[in-house]
Amino acid sequence: MESVKIEKLLEAYFEGNTSLAEEKLLRDYFNSNNVAEHLEQYTSMFAGFQVAKEEHSSREFNLPERKSKTNKTWWYSVAAMLVVAFGVGSFYFSQPHYTQEEKEALAAFEKSKKAMMLLSENLNKGAEQITFVEQFAITKDKIFE
Amino acid sequence: MDRNEFITIVMPLKDKLYRLAKRILVSKDEAEDAVQEIFMKLWKGKQQIENYKSPEAFAITMTKNYCLDRLKSKQASNLKIVHSNYQTSENIERNIEANDGVELVFQIMETLPEQQKLVLQLRDVEQFEFSEIAKMLESNETAIRVALSRARKTVRDEMIKKYNYGIS
Repeated sequence: MESVKIEKLLEAYFEGNTSLAEEKLLRDYFNSNNVAEHLEQYTSMFAGFQVAKEEHSSREFNLPERKSKTNKTWWYSVAAMLVVAFGVGSFYFSQPHYTQEEKEALAAFEKSKKAMMLLSENLNKGAEQITFVEQFAITKDKIFE
Repeated sequence: MDRNEFITIVMPLKDKLYRLAKRILVSKDEAEDAVQEIFMKLWKGKQQIENYKSPEAFAITMTKNYCLDRLKSKQASNLKIVHSNYQTSENIERNIEANDGVELVFQIMETLPEQQKLVLQLRDVEQFEFSEIAKMLESNETAIRVALSRARKTVRDEMIKKYNYGIS
């Protein structure tokens, strides 16, 4: 009686038409010790699946590192970015900035400075000449004493 | 999602993911590497996990895709998959009475086409519902049933062939 039912279940099983509950019946039957002789050929198939389910790995799987560590690397990049930004910024701001008007004024200042320099140079030349005149006056005094 | 939440969701999936990876990649070491890699990927995509209705299905789909990719790149680089796993000491733990038969089931499962292998693993080993498997494998229930039926029949026929051969 039992084996007739099992045969029917087996037939459905090989067509892919059994439910999980029915498959459990089959497994239980074939893992028991009273399998009908003519069905014994299926025993190792079900035993095989049973063994396959018991396989497991004894290796310790590492979970990815703690979140804080990833945060740290995130901070590194932020810090690096700040340093670069600071460098570029300070360089940029250390450059003097003039408006058009200021530039013109600066150019005018440079020009007038040049003119003053020229003037003072010539004035110095004139002053040099004066020493000759002074020398002349001294010798003249010596002679007419 | 914080680390503890992540662990409570993902850690229980460890063995299932490992078995699936091993079914595809065969080698124990490679399957373990794959699971490690999947954990990293899951952690990176943890916002996505929350959106998925079932983190399990999400993780299994990811494992399947990752392992199939690995397999492809391995075949592309002409490396042979080493089928040496079934002679290692871990097999001693296997059910001794049915050992020969069980061994045979594993060998036959290895020869199945990828999709059938996956369906058989997810249904007959992990006992998922068809609707879940369809989601995991990005397929539909009918296709899953067909693949499953083919896989089961192949295992049966090969077993019977070997079984009869063994007797005569």
